[in-house]
Amino acid sequence: MHINLIAKREVKVGFRNPWAYSFMALFSLFSLGLLVIQSQSYMKGYTYTTGTMLNLILYLLPLMTMLLSSFSLTAEKEEGSWQLLSTYAMTTSSFLIGKYVGQALVLIAIVSFGYGISGVAGLLLGKSFAFSTLLFLLVFSICLILLFLGIAMLIGALCRNRWQALTMGVSIWFFYILAWPTLLISLLSFVPYTWIKPLLQIVTFFNPAEFVRVYSVTRLGGGAIFGPEYYKWIYWIDSALGDVCFVALCLLWISATLFIATRAWERR
Amino acid sequence: MQTFGLTVDQVSKTINDKTIVHPFSLRIEPGEVVALCGGNGAGKSTILRMLVGILRPTTGTIQLNGMSWEEQRVDYLQQIGYMPDHFSFTAGLTARETLEFYAALRNRTAEDADRMLKAVGLHDARNKRVSHFSKGMQQRLLFAQAILAKPALVVLDEPTNGLDPYWMDAFVDLVRELRLAGQSVIFSTHQLQVADAVADRAIFLMNGQIVRDDTIDQYQEQYGNVGLYGAFAELVSRAHA
Repeated sequence: MHINLIAKREVKVGFRNPWAYSFMALFSLFSLGLLVIQSQSYMKGYTYTTGTMLNLILYLLPLMTMLLSSFSLTAEKEEGSWQLLSTYAMTTSSFLIGKYVGQALVLIAIVSFGYGISGVAGLLLGKSFAFSTLLFLLVFSICLILLFLGIAMLIGALCRNRWQALTMGVSIWFFYILAWPTLLISLLSFVPYTWIKPLLQIVTFFNPAEFVRVYSVTRLGGGAIFGPEYYKWIYWIDSALGDVCFVALCLLWISATLFIATRAWERR
Repeated sequence: MQTFGLTVDQVSKTINDKTIVHPFSLRIEPGEVVALCGGNGAGKSTILRMLVGILRPTTGTIQLNGMSWEEQRVDYLQQIGYMPDHFSFTAGLTARETLEFYAALRNRTAEDADRMLKAVGLHDARNKRVSHFSKGMQQRLLFAQAILAKPALVVLDEPTNGLDPYWMDAFVDLVRELRLAGQSVIFSTHQLQVADAVADRAIFLMNGQIVRDDTIDQYQEQYGNVGLYGAFAELVSRAHA
């Protein structure tokens, strides 16, 4: 009941927030950019062009998700709204799940609109995305949104104000998206050679951007680009239960981040 | 046997080894209106925040109609309406949407919210964004939010801040209606004339301690027409002596 009310309010406020429209404009331009990149490719499956598109989405969407959503949570604290809500008989988990669901709907609407624009533009220009490509990009983006929303809830729970949330959001984005490969190479050079492969497989679980990328590229048939170190990941993704395992992993990540966020929020 | 009304027993609050509120006990009967008076930093807001469960008391217990926040949190909170001092409404929502949201959280209908908007004189502005409201209009909306579910205890932190004289009078009338309906009210204020006009009792606080707790009639008997102002002046001069 309370989850539903909070989620509805979040959707209403989200669609009246000028920031949402700025990001919608940015994402629409971005998806048109993807259309231009895609128009250079004539091959099916995983290609250099697909990799470029996935990487570009990875740069933009996690940051956008973490900033929009963590700001929404810290605003509740800064404006005294949470303090008032806490005098209503509502649990912290209902509040955070409601915020999560509302934010997810707003962000999914923004990316769907963006891809819709590029789909229509492509049709008009005669250089359209294949429907399967558009669907693939949409699902890839939704996975990133849902996973990074969990992290955004954690940031919002830990930070007192928007400045703290901005700093933490950009730091996490830098760590997960930009610095991850370089950091891994540097850190793994300190461990015995035989540990590298299992460690690499384990740490991938802790970076949602990375495991979504590995899953997506593998499903497109490009798993070989990751090399033998990721063999086990590619093996289970390609197995009959690959999709189920991936969904389970995503749900586990979202549940874990929401659970920790709830605990952190209550301690504050 | 269930005790009706609010019972506060030896409650105190210490933060970082500093005592913000010294141990105090208090009883508010159903239909009683109590004003908390005192200067800045006297501990008024801390007491109110403990009553509504935002802050946990360091010592003591608080019970409302026989229920405590610790043991029956949901039932306890359902009997409370709270109006905070520092608050900004969520930008982007209209007055009607805002009040309907809070009404729904208390299982009240849109009609209840509409009725309350009329009571606080915001019905004509119901479709305006709250972010465009003046401070006084926001205070009235916040007050409506606190009383719309007819709670047993209404807790108001500086409710008359930003209200013009007309709405100050209207506030007094609305609190009198709450009293008639058997609802208890406790509010903090710097405006002693408001306390004088509407409260049955006034409690003076200084440095986190209750220094005087008497009925308005007792203050008037002692200080005549100046009433609470006389008591306040005496307490201040005693503190500076």
